[in-house]
Amino acid sequence: MMENLREVTSVLPILVFVVPVGAALLIFALGRMHRIFREALALLGLAVTFAISLVISGRVLSGELLTAWNGNLYVDGLSALMEVLGSALGIVIVLYATKYLPNHQIGLPLSPWRHTYFYGLLVLFMGTLNWTCATNSLIWMWVSLEATTLTSAFLVTFYWQRESMEAGYKYLLLISVGVTLALLGCVLIYAAAIPLLPGENLLHLTEIGNVARLMPESVVLVACAMFVAGFGTKAGLIPFHAWLPDAHAEAPVPVSALLSGIVIKIGAYALARTVTIFAPYYEAVVIFVAILASVSMVIGIVMALVQDDLKRLLAYSSVSQIAYVIEGLGLGTYLGIYGGLFHLVNHTIVKALLFLCAGALMYAAGSRKISELGTVAKKMPVTTFCFFVGALAIGGLPPFNCFMSKLTLFFALADREILWAAIIGIVTGMVTVACFVWAAFRIFWRKPAPTPNPQIAAKSVPFLMQVSMLVLALACILLGVFPQVLYPMLNAATDSILRILGAG
Amino acid sequence: MAEVIAGGNLIITLYLIHFGFSLLAAELRNLRWSVLAITLQSLFLASILATFANIAANPSLYLWSLTALITKVMLIPYLLWLYIRQLPTAETRPWLGTIPSVAVMLLLVVFIYSFLHTNVEFIAPSLEAAVEPARSNLALSLTVCSLGLWVLLVRRDAAKAVIGLVLLENGVHLSLVTLAPTLPETTLIGIVTNVIITVWLLLYLAGRIFRTLGTTDTALLSELKR
Repeated sequence: MMENLREVTSVLPILVFVVPVGAALLIFALGRMHRIFREALALLGLAVTFAISLVISGRVLSGELLTAWNGNLYVDGLSALMEVLGSALGIVIVLYATKYLPNHQIGLPLSPWRHTYFYGLLVLFMGTLNWTCATNSLIWMWVSLEATTLTSAFLVTFYWQRESMEAGYKYLLLISVGVTLALLGCVLIYAAAIPLLPGENLLHLTEIGNVARLMPESVVLVACAMFVAGFGTKAGLIPFHAWLPDAHAEAPVPVSALLSGIVIKIGAYALARTVTIFAPYYEAVVIFVAILASVSMVIGIVMALVQDDLKRLLAYSSVSQIAYVIEGLGLGTYLGIYGGLFHLVNHTIVKALLFLCAGALMYAAGSRKISELGTVAKKMPVTTFCFFVGALAIGGLPPFNCFMSKLTLFFALADREILWAAIIGIVTGMVTVACFVWAAFRIFWRKPAPTPNPQIAAKSVPFLMQVSMLVLALACILLGVFPQVLYPMLNAATDSILRILGAG
Repeated sequence: MAEVIAGGNLIITLYLIHFGFSLLAAELRNLRWSVLAITLQSLFLASILATFANIAANPSLYLWSLTALITKVMLIPYLLWLYIRQLPTAETRPWLGTIPSVAVMLLLVVFIYSFLHTNVEFIAPSLEAAVEPARSNLALSLTVCSLGLWVLLVRRDAAKAVIGLVLLENGVHLSLVTLAPTLPETTLIGIVTNVIITVWLLLYLAGRIFRTLGTTDTALLSELKR
């Protein structure tokens, strides 16, 4: 049952993105002087952003909707969830990066400026992420979403090697093309809203939800196809995923964790704000999304199975896992949206954990090939433990976090009588377990090759990197054992979408 | 009424010229000539916006036109010129030769335009968007979008792909004036700012790739990597 919320004008929706943008500018200005400036400023900026997000969440949970700038900024349960998730992940990633970046170098030694631009762009990205989540305008959401791509592109190219430049170019070009198609969808919806919403606030997502069912069906279907293609590209959904494996593989590990952890989730967020609004009125949209998601699930995990590059394996697995999220959101029902958002949170934690583990292995071994990692893995008990937690969690096994979210999604699909999609999801889950257990076996249990790569020399993983992994591993276990902890936030986020639907 | 018809005729003429430059920008193999073509295409885009402002007596569209003039006729071509002059004049040999490429493109254009023009009701969100000159405008803008996508699909040159993206974005921009002439100017400025930064970053990357590897052939980059 949805409770009545009251709209309250507040400065918090502004602060939640202005603070990280300000911190990023300070990092760019002062970061070259000393590492303490860039690292401490990044941590401080994200910690303050996290605190603001928590305050916002508290107020949303107490029944308020925070608005600013004449309703152009609008923070509800879904926005708050994304902001908390993004800034928390940002803190973990920065902690990890402070030890990882200076000691794991590819190519020439990194100059202070390169470190500065890493932290500056990372924190600036968090600002654009929070801006995307705080805006209530359909087209400004497009603008800010594209801004997240622009701020993260040079994080992908960070090493400026041949592969990373190619990955960055692909990332920027393909997402920009996809997102331009989404702009066309935004324009169609805006134009369809003009005769239905005489007056102001035509661009407001909350207002568009009010007239979703009154728009011409063909226009809505074309616009939804554009949204799925555009925001689906950002989310890494097949067949719009071409950028994802390269970008994840070639970016520094903290950026890979960011990409899988939150960047692709912004695409899912945008789909939740657009396609989900129309899903209840157009069965074709639900089926279209379910088919696309099922294809993405299967192809993603099959591609992951055949990888020897650990980061590519994780990247393809993200293609598969994001499909669960989008499938749930596309259903447009309470259970579906709840399950989709639940999996969004869980996948963020699990995939960040697995990428950080991959980083620890690469740090120690200097290689990301599964066949070469076995030489060092036995000396890394913390990484071994964390990787296994992540592997079992992403496979959807109890008592880890993804078990409950996947189960919720399967119930939602069954409830909507799309059993074939539920079966595909279950089978994909089983293949995912096999894929990750097989990878873990090759990394941690198999005897090392008789002639190991002479370049590989194990070195110990710094404490702070281990702490970052342990925090995420602990979250996987705790959220699996006590999934109800997330209920208030997820319920508020689900309600925030349903409220817009209900108004229609 | 006569003024409206005259305005409509002017717009159709501008469409045709705009369209001609779109084809040239897509097909010219000399990157510098291609930049010139996209500049002129954008100039006619700005002219179409100004004409619409006049016909519809909508002063805010003059601002749109001015925005297009500054961003699409000045800034983006400047960036294109700045980076493309550092690259080889001729674009990397595309997947299709000139004659088949032109033939496929013309077929594509004729088919897409006539299909969209005939069935524009399918995507027209309002009655106004389904009557002339909006009908032709919508069909044309989406055809220009398809031209941009075609360039992105069949061209191997990293810089040419950026020109394809600009074509695609110009097509979307043209559809904006038909479908959403009441869009606030600030929103429009937000959109074009994004486009400028995207083009800039892509060109910078293409330039770095060329300086490092001596090629802007995206297909070759993939081959080198595997």
